[in-house]
Amino acid sequence: MGDCHYQDGNVHLSKHMQVVEYLLDLAGIGRDRMAVRWLSAAEGRRFAEYVKEFSETTRQLSPFDPRKFELPLAAVWDALTTSRLRWLMGIELQIIEKGNVFKEKIQEKDYWHLLQKAAEDEYHNALVLEVLKEGAQSVREIALKTGLPVYSVSLRLGELERRHKAKFRGYDGNISLFSSMGTEAA
Amino acid sequence: MKMDEIYEPRILAFLCNWCAYAGADVAGVSRLQYPSTIRVIRTMCSGRVDPIYVVQGLKSGFDSILVCG
Repeated sequence: MGDCHYQDGNVHLSKHMQVVEYLLDLAGIGRDRMAVRWLSAAEGRRFAEYVKEFSETTRQLSPFDPRKFELPLAAVWDALTTSRLRWLMGIELQIIEKGNVFKEKIQEKDYWHLLQKAAEDEYHNALVLEVLKEGAQSVREIALKTGLPVYSVSLRLGELERRHKAKFRGYDGNISLFSSMGTEAA
Repeated sequence: MKMDEIYEPRILAFLCNWCAYAGADVAGVSRLQYPSTIRVIRTMCSGRVDPIYVVQGLKSGFDSILVCG
């Protein structure tokens, strides 16, 4: 670090990008699809090397087809725009380096665990919500489309209900259906 | 057209105005060869690159995203 024009702009960047990398892994896209590199203004040679190296790693992967990843990409996007993740990402440097208003610092490792958990939760919530955009569905259907285990889908639905993002819709025979709040008519 | 034979990746690069972009400039001026795979977006600070820019880049069909700062 250290060479930043704005003192720690690039540190903020690398903190944010850790979360993105984590989410790309979760989404099955893989963190290899992105890279964060630091260099100073004088290091033209290093820049050329980075580009060469990263072009090579990208070439080893197959071409990226966003149509195959529509659902995970949408869910990563939604997760990254939740106020919870935004807040946690934004406050990270402050809280691990300077401390909160009570001058309490949180260990970087502990904070990262917290962030990971939050990112995973928000990503799964987002997946469920994306699928619910198609209309009312049963837990089993949602599990099938998101690839999440049935049990975690019901946990997610419970949380989404508490947040007024999803609701119990009614029965189809003896199967309970859920839908998202506010997006659908009828 | 056989796509597999010559797969030329398309990389979206976010470069910081003060370091990486200037670094790229130096690379250009000193005629260092590097692959023509990157499409550059200059940002005034790499910390300004929002996480969702990366997602948007992938959504728009880039093969990978590079952020330099």
